[in-house]
Amino acid sequence: MTHKLLITTAIVSLILGGCAQPAPDLDGKNNISDANHIEGETVSIDENTFGSDSAGNYNSSSDGFKSIYFGFADYSISSNMENNMNHNIEVANAGASKIKIEGNCDEFGTDEYNYALGLKRAKAVKDSIAAQGIDTSRMVMVSFGESNAVCTEPSDSCYDRNRRVDIRLMK
Amino acid sequence: MRHLFVVLLSMTFFTLNLFGVDATLKIEKDVEQRARIALMDGSSEQSSKVFDILLSDLKISGHFLPDTTHHIGDLSSNYIIPALKSQEYVIKYAMEQQSGTKLLVRLLKASDGTQIFKKSYAIPTKAKMPFLIHKAISDINNVLKYPSISWINRYVAYAVYTTPGRSEIRVADYTFNYKKTIIKGGLNLFPKWADSRQRSLYYTSYKGTLPTLYKLNIYNGTKTKIASSEGMLVCSDVSKNGSKLLLTMAPEGQADIYELDLASKAKRRVTDFKGIDVNGRYVDDESRIIFISNRLGYANVFKKSIQGGATSQVVYHGRNNNACDAHGDKIVYSSRESNNAFGDNTFNLYLASTGSSDTRPITTTGSNQFPRFSTDGSVILFLKQSGRSSSIGYTNLTSHQSLLFPFNDRKVQSIDW
Repeated sequence: MTHKLLITTAIVSLILGGCAQPAPDLDGKNNISDANHIEGETVSIDENTFGSDSAGNYNSSSDGFKSIYFGFADYSISSNMENNMNHNIEVANAGASKIKIEGNCDEFGTDEYNYALGLKRAKAVKDSIAAQGIDTSRMVMVSFGESNAVCTEPSDSCYDRNRRVDIRLMK
Repeated sequence: MRHLFVVLLSMTFFTLNLFGVDATLKIEKDVEQRARIALMDGSSEQSSKVFDILLSDLKISGHFLPDTTHHIGDLSSNYIIPALKSQEYVIKYAMEQQSGTKLLVRLLKASDGTQIFKKSYAIPTKAKMPFLIHKAISDINNVLKYPSISWINRYVAYAVYTTPGRSEIRVADYTFNYKKTIIKGGLNLFPKWADSRQRSLYYTSYKGTLPTLYKLNIYNGTKTKIASSEGMLVCSDVSKNGSKLLLTMAPEGQADIYELDLASKAKRRVTDFKGIDVNGRYVDDESRIIFISNRLGYANVFKKSIQGGATSQVVYHGRNNNACDAHGDKIVYSSRESNNAFGDNTFNLYLASTGSSDTRPITTTGSNQFPRFSTDGSVILFLKQSGRSSSIGYTNLTSHQSLLFPFNDRKVQSIDW
């Protein structure tokens, strides 16, 4: 019986042991009146010199190039995009200007991963063009992630249009 | 009988050990630890908004069980109304916003009205009123010798898309009652606080041909170019002393994680993989990083030493864990759990650690993304979407208390706290 009592007391002590709470400071040392230490106002800067007000410049391929579209979460060029790729290689071969390859995604990714996915799409297109002998130093890739949607309706066909690579000449 | 007792005792200990980490057991213990506290509004014009912010601060601290009734009464007397005698503490306060914002708070012992703390706060603008409240509650928390909750005084920095190809970077208090746009025009993304005092932040600008990382002093507007990269460039994490950055960049068209030493400008490539490596975060006293990679064919959390070497999988749960944050050895990650490619998306948050393969859910419903730890790792911020409404959520990992604040901004691109 004594053993039982001891063991029960030990268990109860163990359970209650972790519930100690710090005693409040009652001596009133901090009971003073003073100004707060919150920082002043922050700046507000305007970088509104980016492109034109028309988002059209960024929404599709230009300068004769055709956009390449991708499957969900995919960055390989599908066979039904071969005609567009062949066309783009012809356009690239016809000039000597620098080419900008822009990777884009639908809205279903988050944070950095979506930007990396857009970049993988741009890289797939760049590698495909380079494989036809076009100098890689003529090409620059930029991923726009989900930021440059050409379609904002909540539909599958709209999301399809956003998973794309746009190509244009660098201005 | 004696044997039976030993068996029962063994089973009790086994059960306690087995479920010792279970959140539901912890809740009961923590409820008993929190101090009962009430608010008494002595303002000449009472404001439910002020009361709600005070209440939120007390709740999210994890140290108080606040009375949710908006009591109105005299500020200066030490008299405690009988209804509040069952509380441990009463905060009497007065907020005046005629010219600027002034807040006076008094902390009294509920049993006998003894004054424990008194302080006045003032700021010339009205907009930053929430910060006065956060500072007052943070001070009261310190006076009562609870672990610091100074993270409630911090800004949340976030980027939102405004139209295709354009975004704004904004700062807010943690309740999002205060909001201010600090960078607008063009596409500016991935804000990341540059120092513990939140005087500067890093962000990626798409103004030039290549994504470029800038550091902006948010008080004087000084802007410094840090780096640029083809493809993408993100400042994913900043070392504690602010001297090193973890960047996701792609100088050769391949997204990998680099460590940039700001003093020497030396860049060290930490990951080298032909797929996707992003979202680097320092862990384990900055000796290692965790990051998101698709090296197993789907997005998941991995870790490796900052010096290089082998990469190991951290999370053994979920098939699409595409974002994470870390504090010490704690990891929070978002996992996409819906089966459909489109339509309703279910993202839930899970807590894991670098030292074990255990995970436990933080959220169970809706779409929960952009998890970010508070500076002490005790609270997780996240964006929650349920149907068409969005909220900023907070979960206190110790008290298991959660709070949601309405979030009316447009689509969020990135958050840092």
